[in-house]
Amino acid sequence: MRLSSEFVGGVLVGAGLGWGLDRIFGWHPIGLIVFLGLGTAAGVLNVIRATRELDAQRKGKDQ
Amino acid sequence: MHQFQIHPIVPIHIGGYDFSFTNAALWMVISVGLVSAFTIFSMRGRAMVPGRWQSSVEIFYEFIANMVRDNAGHDARRFFPLVFTLFMFIFFANMIGLFPYAFTVTSHIIVTFALAGSIFLLVTITGFVLHGPKFLGLFVPHGVPAVLLPLVVGIEVISYISRPISHSVRLFANMLAGHITLKVFAGFIISFITGLGAIGWIAAILPLLMIVAITALEVLVGALQAYVFAILTCMYLRDALHPGH
Repeated sequence: MRLSSEFVGGVLVGAGLGWGLDRIFGWHPIGLIVFLGLGTAAGVLNVIRATRELDAQRKGKDQ
Repeated sequence: MHQFQIHPIVPIHIGGYDFSFTNAALWMVISVGLVSAFTIFSMRGRAMVPGRWQSSVEIFYEFIANMVRDNAGHDARRFFPLVFTLFMFIFFANMIGLFPYAFTVTSHIIVTFALAGSIFLLVTITGFVLHGPKFLGLFVPHGVPAVLLPLVVGIEVISYISRPISHSVRLFANMLAGHITLKVFAGFIISFITGLGAIGWIAAILPLLMIVAITALEVLVGALQAYVFAILTCMYLRDALHPGH
C-alpha cells in the first residue's frame, strides 16, 4: 500500500505538471510526454527511498 | 455507501461558497473535543506518581517525543506540538470511525489531503526560512555529472511535489478500504439470510466472524496509519531542518 502510493504519486504529479505546462505554453503534447517520463522516474526514486528507509528501520530494530 | 455521505447540518452560504457545518465537521469537532478532554482531564492531577489516566497520556507523550527526536533530530523539538496534535487527531478520528453510526473523517481524501498539504507548505516554508536559497540544494544530489543535472533535478522536484499525494492517499485509502471491506461482509450476512433461508442463518455465521476479525484488524490499521502519518511528517521536517543529505 505504501510503496504503490509512492509510485502512483510520482507518476500523477509528473503527468499533472506536464499537462499544466502544455496548457500554459501551448506545447501540446511534448510537455506531457517529457514530464510523464520524469514522473515515472520520480515514482521509482520514491519507491527506492521508501524501501531503503524500511530497511534502515528493520536494521535499527535488530541491533 | 451511506456511511461515507456528507450532508450539511447547519447550512451556511457566504458569497456563493458553501461553508456549511457538515457531519464531517461535526465528527472532527468530536475528535478534537475527545483528545482535549482526554489530555486535559487526565493531566489535571499532575501527580509525581501517575495514576492510570495520567500514565496513558504520558505514554502517548513519550511515544511521540521519542519519534520526533529519533526521526527529525534534537532541534525538531519545537515541532513536537504539531506532530503530537496530528497523531492524536488522526488516531482518535480513526478509532471513533470504528463505532457503528459514526463518521470516519479520515476516509475522505479532502481531509487527509488538507492535513498533508498544510504539512507540505509548512516544511517548504520552514526550509526556506531556515536555509534561504540553500534549501534548493535538496534537489541537487552530490556527485552527479553536469550533463545529467537538469534531468536529475527535474526528477527530484517531481519526487518532492508528489509527497503530499502519497502522504494523504495512504491514510485515506487504508481507512476507506477497511470500511468498505466491513460493509461488504455485512452485506453478505443480509443476502445469505434473505436468499438462503434457514441454511442462510447458519452460513451467515462465517461473515459475522470475519467482521469481528476485520474490526480487530481495523483497530490495528487505524493506530498504524496514525503512526505512519506522524513518522512521515517527522521525516519531511528532518529534510527541512537538515537539507544536506
